[in-house]
Amino acid sequence: MTIRADNRLLDGAPMQPLDCHQCGAEVEVRKASWHQTSVQWSAQALRACLERRAARSGDGGGPDHGLFPGCTALRESIVRAALDGALAVPED
Amino acid sequence: MKGWVNVTAVEASTTGIRSIEAEAVPTRFARGWHCLGLSGQFKDGRPHTVNAFGQKLVVFQSGDGGLNVLDAYCRHMGADLSKGTIKGDELACPFHDWRWGGDGRCKKIPYARRVPLRARTAAWITMEQDGLLFVWNDPEGNPPPPEVAIPRIEGATRDDWTDWVWQEIVVETNCREVMDNVVDMAHFFYVHYSFPTYFKNIFEGHVATQIMNGLSRPDARPPGKGPRMLGNSSVASYHGPSFMIDDLTYHYDDMDLKSVLINAHYPIDGNSFMLHSGIIVQHSDKLPREGAEAMAQKLGDFILKGFDQDVQIWKHKTRIDNPLLCEEDGPVYQLRRWYEQFYVDVADVRPEMVERFEFELDTTRPVEAWKQEVEANLARRAAAGRQA
Repeated sequence: MTIRADNRLLDGAPMQPLDCHQCGAEVEVRKASWHQTSVQWSAQALRACLERRAARSGDGGGPDHGLFPGCTALRESIVRAALDGALAVPED
Repeated sequence: MKGWVNVTAVEASTTGIRSIEAEAVPTRFARGWHCLGLSGQFKDGRPHTVNAFGQKLVVFQSGDGGLNVLDAYCRHMGADLSKGTIKGDELACPFHDWRWGGDGRCKKIPYARRVPLRARTAAWITMEQDGLLFVWNDPEGNPPPPEVAIPRIEGATRDDWTDWVWQEIVVETNCREVMDNVVDMAHFFYVHYSFPTYFKNIFEGHVATQIMNGLSRPDARPPGKGPRMLGNSSVASYHGPSFMIDDLTYHYDDMDLKSVLINAHYPIDGNSFMLHSGIIVQHSDKLPREGAEAMAQKLGDFILKGFDQDVQIWKHKTRIDNPLLCEEDGPVYQLRRWYEQFYVDVADVRPEMVERFEFELDTTRPVEAWKQEVEANLARRAAAGRQA
């Protein structure tokens, strides 16, 4: 099967590179609105992420079977970038 | 639109009419662990027929207690081994009594001096865990790597949880349709009468996760006499291409009900699959053993109803490789990119198929619209009630 591109990335905003203020990991981010966020990690970014490393070392399974819900430092970085205009957020 | 790169969509044609595109369904079946259901059902001393991966398989329990899965057709004259009988550690063919071991080798032919060369059939790797039987499918024939092991489900073997309430139905469409549900937030409102208020997906490696919180729908299920259900929180992950574990908590006004829901399937062929659901419920002070068992039954029936709601859509819809998404839809394309890893050789799995991707949906607008719709439904019902 051919892997196709999301029509929203073709017709709307593309993913944009963003560095995490904490560990410097470079990810790609897109915001379709203030409350929508897409994050594309690379293997390298995931290795750099401190919270991820901490989560992995303490991975004991648990009810969510070791699920890493996301990095709070990266989340902050995204909010900051959105607020200061470095990351485009379409207005309603 | 500052800073945006505009790329003309490929499908823009002179007519402006969006076309639906769909390639043929894949000719191979996903690499991964597939659940064949409760293992106990295969332990009745008889062989069982399972149609899966475009083939007919036989499941049988050998004398050592282990469950074995073989290609059902005897390599001698092609008879169906699942119509045979179990004799000790072997499965005996109903046609000429050839004896097949769980390893796929013919061990004995009672009327022959020796077994011919190449008397070997396809055997699948099996795994029994938490009361369930799993079979490993790999078109390349490699054994399962340990990192894709199905996680243990703690409640399945604990005394303070119910037994599995298990359901199976055959669905006449390609199994990609059921996978799309992982990302399809809006259908939970329109098809299943639930009310999502928070929705996030995470794909990483061989795991695809859906985190969803929701409210109950007073317009769909009028509050009864018992405890009032307020909503639910769910963390559901596919571990590989076919087995989803959902840690699902229902919130009532006076208690939380913890359950684990399994949503699993195996392909019968390219155009049909066997859909399984299983549920266990934790006992609590408010819901001791018997109450929990009754609740598990009730939830099981409810889930079956949910499957039927999906089936009614799948039955009549068309396969679509280029869904046209709005910003309030989930990441359908990225889910399918993740799913593709199971349909290519291990050597051809590309980083983009397995690299971590997160998508948090903005539910502001959907929640607004759905609140209004629920209120309108309640008002209409109240007006009809006054007239009656």
